[in-house]
Amino acid sequence: MGVVRAQPRIRSSGRGSGVLPLLPFFLFTGFFLIWPVVAVTLRSFQGNKNEWTLANYRPILHSGPYLHAFMVSLKLSLITALIGSLLGAFFAYVIVKYARGKFGAVVDSISAVFANSGGVPLAFMFVAAFGTEGIVTKVLKDLGWDIYAGHFTIFSFTGVVMVYSFFQVPLMVLVFKPAIAGLRREWEEASISLGASAFTYWRRVGIPILIPSFVGAFFLLFAGGFSAYATARALTVGTVPLVPIIIGTLVDGNVISDQTNLGDSLAVGMIVVATIVMAGYIWAQRRAAKWRS
Amino acid sequence: MKRFTLKWPLVISSSVLALLIFVVPLYGAAVYSFKGNGGKGHSWTNYQWLIHQDGFYPSLLTSLKLAVLAALLTLALMVPTMVYLNLKGQKYKSLVDFLCILPLIIPVVSLAIGAQVAMPKILQNSEYELVFFFVIIALPYTYRALDTSLQTIALKTLVEASRSLGASWTSTIILVIVPAIRSGITGALFLTFALSIGEYTITSLLHWETFPTWTVVAAQQNILGAIAISVFSFVGAIALLSVIALLPKRSAQRVEVDE
Repeated sequence: MGVVRAQPRIRSSGRGSGVLPLLPFFLFTGFFLIWPVVAVTLRSFQGNKNEWTLANYRPILHSGPYLHAFMVSLKLSLITALIGSLLGAFFAYVIVKYARGKFGAVVDSISAVFANSGGVPLAFMFVAAFGTEGIVTKVLKDLGWDIYAGHFTIFSFTGVVMVYSFFQVPLMVLVFKPAIAGLRREWEEASISLGASAFTYWRRVGIPILIPSFVGAFFLLFAGGFSAYATARALTVGTVPLVPIIIGTLVDGNVISDQTNLGDSLAVGMIVVATIVMAGYIWAQRRAAKWRS
Repeated sequence: MKRFTLKWPLVISSSVLALLIFVVPLYGAAVYSFKGNGGKGHSWTNYQWLIHQDGFYPSLLTSLKLAVLAALLTLALMVPTMVYLNLKGQKYKSLVDFLCILPLIIPVVSLAIGAQVAMPKILQNSEYELVFFFVIIALPYTYRALDTSLQTIALKTLVEASRSLGASWTSTIILVIVPAIRSGITGALFLTFALSIGEYTITSLLHWETFPTWTVVAAQQNILGAIAISVFSFVGAIALLSVIALLPKRSAQRVEVDE
C-alpha cells in the first residue's frame, strides 16, 4: 500500500512492553511469597489426617477468645496508625522543609532504624524506661507523677500502643516524606503569584494533593501494626491477646491435638481482614499517582 | 509580599516532640544499661558481660552478612524492575504493586509457616534462605521508595536522551537513572538493611540464630545484659547507617531533576 513502516526507534528495546524484563521479579515473588501463602491456605482447609474440612475455621467464628483477639488487634492497629500517621506527617513536613544535606541524610537513617526496630530490643528498652523500676518512671515519680498509680503498666494495651507508636511515627516519616518532597515548588509559586496566602495554598492545593498519599500511608501503618509480632510477644508474654501472638503460640507447639491447623486458619483470617485494608491502600495510591503523571 | 515564617516554632516544637517520643525511652534504657552489679552505681559491667557471651560475635556477623546480602539482592532485583515498570511496563504496574504490598498484608508468622511447608529441603538447610525472605519482607518499602523517586524524575526524557546518545540499557540504568533516583535507592538500602538486621519473627520460627534471636536467649539469663544488647544494637545501627549516609557521594551531584 506504499505506507512506510515506522522503524523501531531503538533496536534493543524494540520488543515494546513485553513481560520478559519482569520475569525475575515474578519468579522471585511467586516462589518466596505466593507459594508459601498458598501452602498455608491449603493446609488451613485440612484436618489432622489431611482430609478436607472447614473445622479449623469453626473456633474463630464460634469461640470468644479468638474473635476477641481480632477485635483487640484491630483496635491496636487503628490507634497506633492514627497516632503514627498524624505525628509522622508533621515530622516529615518539618524534615523536608528544614533538614537538608547531611543532617537530612542522618535523620533518614535514624528514621530507618527506629521504623524497623519493631523487634525484641524495643520491648526491652521500654521495660528499662517505663517499667515499674524504669528510669523514666522514677524520674516522673520524683516530679510528682506516678504513672503506675492507675491501671497503667508497660505490659498492658496502653503500653503496647506506646511501643508501637515508637516505630509507627518514623515509618510514616519514611513513607510520607517523598510525597511532601514531591510537591512542586511551581505549584506554590503559581498560587502565590495568583494572590493566594500560604494558608490558602495549603488549603486549596497542598493538602488536597497530599491527602491520597496520607491515606495510603495510613493504611500501610494499619497493616503493619496489625501483623506485628516480635515486640508485643516479648513485651506482653500473652497479657494482651493479639492474633499474631496467638498464631505464634499455636505453631510453636503448645497445641491441643485436635487444633493442629487452627494457626493456619487464623492466619488466613488475618489475610482476609488485611485484604480490606489493602483495597483502601490501592485506591489511595491511584488517587495519589494522578498528580504525578 | 511579606510572608510570616513558621520556621522556628515548627522546628522547636518538632524537636521537643521527637525528644519526648524517641530520645527519652532510648536515654532511659541507656542509663539503665549502665547499672552496676545489684543495681548499684554505674559501670560497663553489662556490656562486658555482653561481649564475652558465647555467640555474640558469630550471631552479629551472621546478621550483618545476611542483611548486606538482602540489601544487595533487593537492589539487583528491584531497580531494573521498577525502571522498566515506570518506563514501559505500565500495564503490569498494578500487579507488581499488588505483589509488593502483600508482605505487609500477610502476617510474617504465616509466611514463616508457609515457608516450612513449601520450601525445598536444600534451602531450608541453609541460613541463606533468610536472605530471600528478608528481601520479600522489605518489598513494600523498597517498592514505595523506588517508585516515588522514579515518579519525581523525568524518566522518559532521561532514558530517551541517554539511549539516543548511544548508551546501552545497562549503562543508562547505572549512569543515568541510578544517580537520579539515589535518594530512593539509599532509602531502599537503609530499609532493607535495617529490617533484615532486626528481623526476629521469621528467623525464630525457622529456627535460625541471628543477633535478635540470640538476644532473646541471652535475655533469659540477664535482663540488664539484654537491655544493654538492645541499646547497643540501636546505637550501633544508628551509627552505622549515619556513617553510610555521610559517606561522600562520588559523582552525579549535577543531576538535579526536580529535587
